[in-house]
Amino acid sequence: MSTVDTRLESADDLQQYRKQLLAERDETTRRVRVCLGTGCTAKGALGVMESFNRAAEELGDDSVLVESKCTGCHGFCERGPIVVVDPGNIFYQNVKQEDVPDIWRESVIGGRVVERLQYKDEKSGKTAATSDEIPFYSAQHRIVLNHNGVIDPTRIEEYLAVGGYAGLAKTLSSMDPEQVIEEITASGLRGRGGGGFLTGRKWRSARNAPGEPRYVIANGDEGDPGAFMDRSLMEGSPHSVIEGMIIGAYAIGSSQGYIYVRNEYPMAVKHLNIALEAARGMGLLGDDILGSGFSFDIRINRGGGAFVCGESTALMASLEGRVGEPRAKYIHTVESGLNGKPSLLNNVETWANVPQIILNGADWFASLGTERSKGTKVFSLVGKVKNTGLVEVPMGMTLRQIIFDIGGGIRGDKAFKAVQTGGPSGGCIPATFLDEPVDFDRLTELGSMMGSGGMIVMDEDTCMVNVAKYFLGFLKEESCGKCTPCREGVAQMLHILDNITKGKGRQGDIERLEALGTLLEDTALCALGKTAAYPVLSTLRYFREEYETHISQQYCPAKECPGLFKYEINGEACTGCRLCAKKCPVDAISGEKKKPHTIDQEKCTNCGTCFDVCAFSAVTKV
Amino acid sequence: MPTVTIDDKPCVAELGETILQVARRNGIWIPTLCYHPAVEPYASCRICVVEIDRGGWWQVVTSCNYPIRGDLTVRVESERAVRARRGVMELLLARCPESAELRELAGRMGVEGTPHPHVTEAQRNCILCGLCVQVCEETIGAAAISPAGRGVERSVAAPFRLASEDCIGCGACAAVCPVGTIVVRMHENEVEISPFKSRVKLRRCADCGTPLASELAIKALSARGGPTVTEMLDGEDCCSRCKRRKLAQELTSGHGRSPADLIA
Amino acid sequence: MADNESVAVDTIIERYAGDPGMLIPIMQDIQAEHGYLPRPEMKELAGGLSVPLARIYSVATFYSSFRLLPKGDHTIQLCMGTVCFLKGAGKIAEALQSEFDLTPGGTSPDRKFTFAPVNCVGACALAPVMVVDEEYHGGLTVNSAVKLLHKIADADEAAKTAKEAQQRKEAKKAAAIAKKKGSGSKKT
Repeated sequence: MSTVDTRLESADDLQQYRKQLLAERDETTRRVRVCLGTGCTAKGALGVMESFNRAAEELGDDSVLVESKCTGCHGFCERGPIVVVDPGNIFYQNVKQEDVPDIWRESVIGGRVVERLQYKDEKSGKTAATSDEIPFYSAQHRIVLNHNGVIDPTRIEEYLAVGGYAGLAKTLSSMDPEQVIEEITASGLRGRGGGGFLTGRKWRSARNAPGEPRYVIANGDEGDPGAFMDRSLMEGSPHSVIEGMIIGAYAIGSSQGYIYVRNEYPMAVKHLNIALEAARGMGLLGDDILGSGFSFDIRINRGGGAFVCGESTALMASLEGRVGEPRAKYIHTVESGLNGKPSLLNNVETWANVPQIILNGADWFASLGTERSKGTKVFSLVGKVKNTGLVEVPMGMTLRQIIFDIGGGIRGDKAFKAVQTGGPSGGCIPATFLDEPVDFDRLTELGSMMGSGGMIVMDEDTCMVNVAKYFLGFLKEESCGKCTPCREGVAQMLHILDNITKGKGRQGDIERLEALGTLLEDTALCALGKTAAYPVLSTLRYFREEYETHISQQYCPAKECPGLFKYEINGEACTGCRLCAKKCPVDAISGEKKKPHTIDQEKCTNCGTCFDVCAFSAVTKV
Repeated sequence: MPTVTIDDKPCVAELGETILQVARRNGIWIPTLCYHPAVEPYASCRICVVEIDRGGWWQVVTSCNYPIRGDLTVRVESERAVRARRGVMELLLARCPESAELRELAGRMGVEGTPHPHVTEAQRNCILCGLCVQVCEETIGAAAISPAGRGVERSVAAPFRLASEDCIGCGACAAVCPVGTIVVRMHENEVEISPFKSRVKLRRCADCGTPLASELAIKALSARGGPTVTEMLDGEDCCSRCKRRKLAQELTSGHGRSPADLIA
Repeated sequence: MADNESVAVDTIIERYAGDPGMLIPIMQDIQAEHGYLPRPEMKELAGGLSVPLARIYSVATFYSSFRLLPKGDHTIQLCMGTVCFLKGAGKIAEALQSEFDLTPGGTSPDRKFTFAPVNCVGACALAPVMVVDEEYHGGLTVNSAVKLLHKIADADEAAKTAKEAQQRKEAKKAAAIAKKKGSGSKKT
């Protein structure tokens, strides 16, 4: 973290300051960039960082300038801790603290590579020197995440050096609010939080709404399980969100903004606070920004722990010190939102796109993506895929390209079954649609939705009924309880699914699920309730036979639901080691030593212990 | 003045009114539970849903709080709206199996029974309409109760589920409860309101012993002022019947005062 | 009763300029001070912010991050999955509850243990299983489970006694040094 004493009084000042920063930058300085995003930190990146810092301190030799710094999330979290060495942008993965001396000696000082820590392509066996050579990254097009992994998110000068706040300077010095709104509208940017609403149109409605004061809000409440795009953005590039918000505030005439961050993201809160203070210190936030006469400041509120607060009216209720209960949107929040005043709320990823649209122009943004979904989107690609992490790609890339080219295909080379998109409001898309382009409208047509960008990949061993049950269980815990259909309907749907996964499903259950789905869509108060049935409805749409088999045969085709399939010992593979028999809690396995054993199905409780302990994979699920 | 056409019947409306207000004024019946004219519409029960024409598609909305902002076409008895209201009632009947008021409303709606089992034990027979909470906070100003928890296990309670220190025992919550869950009981010296565990001292008529109201309610009403109220209860310890009896005695006892004097 | 060392409620309220819209951050700060939201502090907050206590209670029970009861020093998760149950987890639950004065989901009066029966932790080969402070303990019997918790409580006591002894030692040392300094100057 650093404190900068310079206060910028005009757009020119900013330009001069950046020139100065770039002039001072020595390209021959050896740099070690250690990712300190939450993912890498959980795997020990702090220890790696400390070791590099120590090594840099101990270096007595002034001829080699070394700078070790922390950067934000690269997105390839499963290969963390990630370390990049400059010059050369040399990419290292799975770095442990004991690897630091090797990297230091060979790569930082010696200018060579440490091959064993480089990414190796599974098929070709080739090692990648830089991230550009890694398929996970090379197929990506990073706009929102382009600074992650490069700049230190706690140092504003680094953001300024790569062009940060130039968009704001251009806005305040050469554009009026109308022009800003026109630019955003022309870009075709749509909300990145799940609603997919045209951002420019929302900004115009906010500007036209009468009343003072007016508020600008960033939704950083990312609650979809499996999604961590916003976390990485707030941790790794907090200034891009702030800059976007200032531009938006100028466009609609607001002087007060809020960033609502999930309570479970302490590092994001920390980095945003550091960023706000630094921006204020430099005159980029607060009174008379860049000497333009425009004043705007931002406050951070942490959530209290409620998924429903990702819904805009519930979020605003929370900002008012109330429980996160949504309210009707017959009058939009741009007209009457926080404290009943005009409020412009956008997701943090949406805000992060704004500075670059202003700087590079609407045409540049609109040249990416599809006809009705412009730009890029950050997805969190997780689940049964080989390369899990964050990927930013242009809208219109196909599911196949994302899951197989970037994701590397299914783990263990099993069969792809479905990809779940849109979180608890979304649906599952089966293999027949792998070549469909990913954009707002196509995903909705397929019975799912873009949502915030979660993409959970599932394989042949996944029971789709259980997936629906999981999401409904999640929603039951998170429903605010205000309206009848969501509160009662979700509990009823969960009850049915629970019965089905326990072999107690009945004829008529599927029809009751479908009827409840329609009821919720029609009568629930907010989007949580309205879309609560989508995971059920989409799995019914594409995997109906699975439901029917559970109900009519009490059998789980994916062999996941306990009690709805059998364990059997494969006589050919069994060596008669008797381990399973010893471990079986109900003594259901019998056989002579060194001879194939058998499971007594009458006694078996389906606990799966034998399956887990067998070293010969002789226990099979049938 | 906008025109709201409800099931092909044109109705005159005022800007800012709700569909429900227009419907009621024109004798069109839409079932309600969580709606009460004394408080802002909370729109939680969803039993009042109707369809509105959005030009190209029909939207299901709650009539109790949908604001009239121009001409509007509404369908109350469309298949989709009827099915939606039935679905909501079926969920409520499953939640509140013991409420006679709910069954009666269901009957009026043509809903008999429910296909759903009873799946929660949290606060049986409360439909979480929020009226008791709203009335207590907005109308009475005591704010003694509130919803505790979240989701299907939510229940209305006094803070920490102890007897409320802010309850004045007025019974307004029981008066607005649409399903008869909240009950006011008069004991020897106390007003008890269940299920909130409230117990407030009761004032009875000094003459005949009829319960008048809770002491705190009397105090609160007096504080609000107004001649009728003060006259009624403040400093009085008689019920109206006994007061009338006393007055009649005065008038007919001939203590030297003319009726004209007494009335003046 | 508020700890003498914790920050007072009205100080916290002042941090946010008494803005009732900042109720949630204020409650988060209070919880950070006490480890949970104590009732007296909540009443004080209601008065200080001019917000009904009922609303504060509503907010405290709505958001997952708020706790109205202090957590014990150790969290015990006793698996009640099918296999554990078949192997006697029910009897273990009863024994623990009576020995340490516990209820499911509750904390013992001495605040040592929070007891949380859970559904299958997925370690059926070790049944019956208890997870204490994220450490797995398997193959339990009524006796061994009770013994295990006593061992943990004893270890805490021993650590506390050792700490107090160390503190006394250091205090003695400091006093001795102070005395020496005082008498040293006399000698010359």
